[in-house]
Amino acid sequence: MKKRLKTVEAIKGWSLSGMYLVYTAIFWGYPFVWLIILALSKWNFLTPRKFIWFDNFIKLFQDELFWRVFINTFNFMLYFIPIVIGFSLLFALGLKRVRLFRTFFILAFLVANVSSGVSYSIIFQKLFAVNGPLNDLTRALFGVTIPWFSSPQLATLSIAIMVTWKFIGYYGLIFFSGLQAIPQSLYEAAELDGAGKWTKFFKITVPLLNPSIVMVLVLSLTLTFGIFTEPFLITGGGPMRTTYTFQMLIYSTAFQKINPGYASSLAIVVALLSYGCVLLTRKLVEREVELA
Amino acid sequence: MKKSIFLMLIVCLSIAAIGVELVFWTAPNPLQERFWKETVAEWNASNPDIQIKWSTIPAAGSSEEAILTAIASGRIPDISTNIFSGFAAQLIEADILVPLDSFPDFWELVDTRKMRSIVEKWKFGKNYYVFPIYSNPIMMWWRMDILRELGYDKPPRTYSEIYEISSKYSIPNERFGSLVVMGRNWYDRWFDFITYYYAASGGEPYLDVEKARALFNNEAGKEVVGFIDKMFRSNWTAVDLGSNPFYTGVVLGGIFGPWEINQARSLFPDVFDDIVITPPPVPDTYPTDEPIYTFADTKGLVMFATTKHKEAAWKFIKWVYSDIEKDRRWMETTNLPPAREDLLTNPIFKEYMDGNPYFAAYASHVAYAVPPALTTKTVEVQDIMTTFLIETIMYGKSDPLSALSDSSSRVRKELF
Repeated sequence: MKKRLKTVEAIKGWSLSGMYLVYTAIFWGYPFVWLIILALSKWNFLTPRKFIWFDNFIKLFQDELFWRVFINTFNFMLYFIPIVIGFSLLFALGLKRVRLFRTFFILAFLVANVSSGVSYSIIFQKLFAVNGPLNDLTRALFGVTIPWFSSPQLATLSIAIMVTWKFIGYYGLIFFSGLQAIPQSLYEAAELDGAGKWTKFFKITVPLLNPSIVMVLVLSLTLTFGIFTEPFLITGGGPMRTTYTFQMLIYSTAFQKINPGYASSLAIVVALLSYGCVLLTRKLVEREVELA
Repeated sequence: MKKSIFLMLIVCLSIAAIGVELVFWTAPNPLQERFWKETVAEWNASNPDIQIKWSTIPAAGSSEEAILTAIASGRIPDISTNIFSGFAAQLIEADILVPLDSFPDFWELVDTRKMRSIVEKWKFGKNYYVFPIYSNPIMMWWRMDILRELGYDKPPRTYSEIYEISSKYSIPNERFGSLVVMGRNWYDRWFDFITYYYAASGGEPYLDVEKARALFNNEAGKEVVGFIDKMFRSNWTAVDLGSNPFYTGVVLGGIFGPWEINQARSLFPDVFDDIVITPPPVPDTYPTDEPIYTFADTKGLVMFATTKHKEAAWKFIKWVYSDIEKDRRWMETTNLPPAREDLLTNPIFKEYMDGNPYFAAYASHVAYAVPPALTTKTVEVQDIMTTFLIETIMYGKSDPLSALSDSSSRVRKELF
């Protein structure tokens, strides 16, 4: 009887997870195996594939463009992560104070997150143009024209601003839920002990928000390695290749330069880099937090 | 049992009756789709033994990506259109295209379609693998209404003439003489440096693919970089000008293809009648009695070597392109100039040309429009041109002649 029950349970379990396993095997396992095979091969889609083992990886570390993009990615992080965390946190803190129309504000900020990358890239391109409204304003007020997309550092910053705009709502909500979880009694106790606003923020809010901060950090780090649409449409990787991203490099290597083997090795290295950054961040930032 | 034998017989007979089925892919463009839908239906109705299974190139990031995926997965069509030179070179090098001049009546068809000198520019090694369908000369547009206000009754032709009107019209960061650089993507080089180079050099090639040499570090190349440099250093041009700077008067002139005509007509009717179309600018010393060459944004048709029905596929190609009426219908439907040298002289096109003077301006340069180099390294070469030539000049990182020499040696290394 017990054995039969176990078999029935097993059948139920397999039938529930079976579809997912099949799906994963087809859409994840199969491409993953192919990715490894391709990374070890020389191929151009057209002629027979040839195993070259680790040649693609050796070539990759000697590739000037790879190192340029590597620097670009970390340069982008330097702008993007502080800006997105700062503004998302501000949004969350603001949201906590808002009593009326809170859902409306949340939705308004989330609209950016669901909008098409192509559409908002075009809008920002017009906004930041040499003769665009933003420059019209700076010229009228201060008599200066800001080369948003023409100066290497400013172009990186401009793209960081665009991506920040897209993700403030999403990351802000993560912070907001973290803020909601901090017991009000802690603040009240701190006030009784004479703690000021800043003390409360740095001694209570920030430490107890650690899980949310780690989550947003991890999400924004992985996002940095996945940027494609904005620089592809607006700057084409320029000026002087300073906004060229890993995804652009992988795409152009695979489908424009017809070198899927090299592109696969790039994809593997980028995935490992991104994973390494996430591990490092968690090690450096993550703290055990008990709210109960 | 009898029933199943009968069914088998029916199936066999229908296969025999249908005969050959050719898979044919065309560009995913609504206007071109309209043309091919009618054309293929006409063929299928009158050729029951060779049926065309027509579809547009499957949805993907680009046509090249879709075709590559099809090749990798063994779903290769028999014939496909929308093949640009760089991609053609890659396909030819992989030995998966049929040399079209292997058909005995290839040159007969070329002469019937009056396209011999156009086809000559598509030679790869000793053969011709691509049948050019259309050729878009890249031309310069000027705002004649503003030029008249500035006191000019004709558009500028040479660099000095552009400098003169630019110095009169430009206000730093507000309005500019002309759009000179089209963008920072590799393909933008077709529409700026390569276009200007063809114009300045009289249509000479910028690469010698067979000898792996870059040819653009010469007098014509020097003239072109001098022009680009002067325009940027004087603040008479800029990139990142938002959308439609030409129609809003932010720039007086810009480089466009014929596809822009319809957009200009429908979106900017107030400006449309004040547009004048000229060939790209040339150095001051360029002879006035010589035709001005330009870049041809051109796509062609190829036959894949995997086809089992070469003769049938060739028969279809011949049927389409030996009929001038189909070229006329193509032109009227798609607004793209067929790759023919008689567009202005053949009376069959006259009515359309008379009714579409802007299109006629483009058609007048089909014979002088040169396709890009047939190299497998198109992206790499034009990436180098972008970073080490155009951007270097744009941002004044080095003097134009050093940028020209540096980019030329980098291209040579890449080709080697």
